[in-house]
Amino acid sequence: MNATADHPLPCLGYGLGLRVDHYEALLDHPGNVEWLEIVSENYMVPGGRPLAWLERFRQRFPLVMHGVSLSIGSTDPLDDGYLARLSALAHRVEPAWISDHLCWTGVQGVNLHDLMPLPYTEEALAHVVERVSRVQDVLGRRILLENVSSYISFADAQLTEWQFLAAVAERADCLILLDINNIHVSAHNHGLSPLAYLDGIPAARVQQFHLAGHERGGQLLIDTHDAPIVDDVWQLYLQAVRRFGRVSTMIERDDHIPPLAELMAELDYARELALPLLQDVA
Amino acid sequence: MSGLQALQQRMLQAVLADKAPRLRGLRGDERADASSRMDVYRQGYRIRLRDALAPEFPGLHLLAGRDFGRLLKSYVAAHPSGHYNIRWHGAGLPAFLEYGLPWRERPALAEMARLDWAISTAFDAVDEVAVDPAELASVPAEAWADLHLRPQAHLQVLSGFCNVEAFRRAADRELARPRLRRYRRSRHLLVWRQALAVRYRLIEDDERMVLSAAMRDESFALLCDRLAEHHDPSAAMPRMAGILRGWLDDGVLAGWRLQQDSM
Repeated sequence: MNATADHPLPCLGYGLGLRVDHYEALLDHPGNVEWLEIVSENYMVPGGRPLAWLERFRQRFPLVMHGVSLSIGSTDPLDDGYLARLSALAHRVEPAWISDHLCWTGVQGVNLHDLMPLPYTEEALAHVVERVSRVQDVLGRRILLENVSSYISFADAQLTEWQFLAAVAERADCLILLDINNIHVSAHNHGLSPLAYLDGIPAARVQQFHLAGHERGGQLLIDTHDAPIVDDVWQLYLQAVRRFGRVSTMIERDDHIPPLAELMAELDYARELALPLLQDVA
Repeated sequence: MSGLQALQQRMLQAVLADKAPRLRGLRGDERADASSRMDVYRQGYRIRLRDALAPEFPGLHLLAGRDFGRLLKSYVAAHPSGHYNIRWHGAGLPAFLEYGLPWRERPALAEMARLDWAISTAFDAVDEVAVDPAELASVPAEAWADLHLRPQAHLQVLSGFCNVEAFRRAADRELARPRLRRYRRSRHLLVWRQALAVRYRLIEDDERMVLSAAMRDESFALLCDRLAEHHDPSAAMPRMAGILRGWLDDGVLAGWRLQQDSM
């Protein structure tokens, strides 16, 4: 687990999202899985099996925490109760880092349980930057924010998505979890250049990659995490490795979850793709 | 109100609306117009909630059969989610079925949902160490009157008239759908967690009564007095011993202490 000047947190290698279906298989045969990403909210519970399993994984793997409900872009007040539970979980898990999404998930006390996109405006930027700073104060560490897949865009946008993400990271001094599949999906849905997206992201802020599958819904691509990673995303991943170098990489699968061996094979493929490029860099 | 706030409120209403309204300020293109794009979120909200709730209510699924999908759909439409953990939206489903039409005309549905939800909440409730029977056996006989037994904090007693436990058991074991039975007298189901395993069983009226008394922190002497009201004197103590044995074997108790009640 080495940190470099560009990436101040350790590089964990290649990992998977921890899912109940794979609990026993992962403990019995961890194979090529070097680290695990947990969905924070699944373990922000008082006790029982989730925390008992978590303790076993904590002893075997480096863990990172990935949330879906921080709602950093919401105009509702930050949820202090949520932050307290997140902080308590972080004390228990001692994750390498904590991440969530650059989006909002609810407003007026209603949770939409979706990663709703923000308008890329100066107003939204100032709002998010201020809230990221407060969250980082509560957690006592820098967080990672992930780019989301989106299906709508806003007529009054003043910045591109990557400009917005980069500006949040720079102004709030947070890090970036770059989801390669989400770049592909959003680029397709909005007619953007995925390479321009990669070029617009400050390399020193990128701490983690996500890889995942998606599906087609009419003319749009939908971020479903229910299928193998497609070739276009693998190609974009290669471009990301060229641009950002060695970055902790993991595969997310949330539905139609295959046997662990299938995800391990995808992880090996990611490793094989990246290896020649990383050797060139070295 | 800021522009961002107003935008988020409009988007919220659009997601919750029965039909996708036209939202100003959104872009469409040749791939999809703005309404179709917003519809991805509108449909996703409903699918996501239904997909998250379904596994929390396997007994209800078996009992409601083909109506289960319609039931969840009507609940999601009537009750926006307010909790950051999507699973916790299930907390309101039993009451929705108890009071909402047409579901309240089938009271077994609400009973079933209550059992499913009690099991779900016990699953990740606070860990408590069960009382060691040997430890309790060391309490001198003369001190038992002042003994206060503390049941597990997450423990629940559900009262109803239907054999909902048979549906939950069948759902968990992938057995055939049982026949729904409705009883004249109310029945009581104890739901608790023993170590990491969630358990449930029927309890008699007298056990429910003394368990409730223990949860109110009444002394063992008072528990025995209450039991004596249900049994003749010669039967009360053996019955109390049997109930206590069951609680200890099942890990129902989380603690005890000796304290004289003030007069």
